[in-house]
Amino acid sequence: MINKPLIGIIDISINNILSIKRAFQNIGSKVIVIDEQRNVEKFDIIVLPGVGAYHEAMKKLRDTKLILSIEQALNKNKSFLGICLGMQLLFEESEEFGLTKGIGFFKGKVKNFNKFNVEKQTFIGWNRVKFSKKIISMPKKYIEKNLLNSAFYFVHSFFVNCENKEIETGTSYNGKLNFSSIVKKDKVVAFQFHPEKSGNNGLILLKSMVKNILQ
Amino acid sequence: MHLEGLRVLGYPEFFAQKYFEENIDEIIFQDVVASLYKRNQLTSLTNKISKNIFVPITVGGGIRNVSDIKEILINGADRVSINTAAVNDKKFIKESVKVFGSSTITITIESSKVGERYKVYTDSGRTETNINTFEWIKEVQDMGVGEIILTSINNEGTGKGFDLNLYEKASKICNISLLAHGGTRNSEDIYKLFINTDIDGAIIASAFHYNYYKELLNKKKISLRGSTNFLVNQDFKNIFFFGVKDLKKYLKSKNISIR
Repeated sequence: MINKPLIGIIDISINNILSIKRAFQNIGSKVIVIDEQRNVEKFDIIVLPGVGAYHEAMKKLRDTKLILSIEQALNKNKSFLGICLGMQLLFEESEEFGLTKGIGFFKGKVKNFNKFNVEKQTFIGWNRVKFSKKIISMPKKYIEKNLLNSAFYFVHSFFVNCENKEIETGTSYNGKLNFSSIVKKDKVVAFQFHPEKSGNNGLILLKSMVKNILQ
Repeated sequence: MHLEGLRVLGYPEFFAQKYFEENIDEIIFQDVVASLYKRNQLTSLTNKISKNIFVPITVGGGIRNVSDIKEILINGADRVSINTAAVNDKKFIKESVKVFGSSTITITIESSKVGERYKVYTDSGRTETNINTFEWIKEVQDMGVGEIILTSINNEGTGKGFDLNLYEKASKICNISLLAHGGTRNSEDIYKLFINTDIDGAIIASAFHYNYYKELLNKKKISLRGSTNFLVNQDFKNIFFFGVKDLKKYLKSKNISIR
């Protein structure tokens, strides 16, 4: 790669974006933090990270008008990555504190683990991800050896179970409850886990995505 | 040992980097005497340690208010662990859970068996309280925190193995993530912990540190301050150590589900 890929990270200051920034820098990308509405044309990938409360995040996105930058990226078919809460925000609504409307790029509802028979109501730790489809073009052997069925780091009390299996590209379990841990539609990919906290496998996944997008 | 007699082993950032390279699952960084000396130097260290580490990092020691937590998180930690301030100020914990979310707040419980009772201690095992460990676990859960680190002061640094009785009882009443700390002598201790209790993770300090310190010490030729007699005299009595990779290989061979 001659030019470093340019990554725009949406910062709504309710989350810590330092580790995401460092992870992208570690794999050779240039990072710009987007903390106010701006034209996102020049970015190779827009990243929407997030830890914290759904309604709080949606409110911040609207108050700062960052929602407009996100919509621009999604409408212009830009490569887009949602992480954890950032994935959930891309769905239609969440049942956290009543109902909160989300960005609505993916169809479906974010639900609370506490209404289901799960092993942990707040899941903190490593969990396996079963890749049901290819999200990135890598040599098959490589994916099988390094990523298929490997564990990634999750922190969440809410989850999505996509009805549309077309967009569900990875699944995981909490107890016996199956949920979507990766979703993909067009050039938008979202992870329920934190690739920036998932050790070398997480970095490999990010790196492959960036490489894939630039090809 | 028993959270006392601290020894200097080297620079934390080198250890953190090494553990990350060896596929460790999480790193916990604790300034053990921060509350005792009322100091707070974690912020810059957190930033340094977390620079090239891409696994979760929990930082603790002397955290007393919401702005302490904020500073540590901004500098690269994923969670903070709190002991003394939780015992002294429950309102602070409830507020922290509300501001930062359950999954960001870990409570460390230092427990010592006094007679037949497990009592809670603060200030790195120096101040005895009248709180029963198991009652405290329930109370902490009710405050909404996401995780508990349970340290056995009796076993910490002794290589006696884990206090299985403590962890079995604790894991029965605990429905949030519970980590055991204190007493690892060898890989088998960790295997025993996982098959006999419902614990979510094991915290290992000495056994790993001693395994790597020689190699890491030479990385930076700056004189270390503090109690370094141990390093000079190479006093290895009663110390057992093993590497991260070896431990994982062993646990896998025993069919323990591990990353």
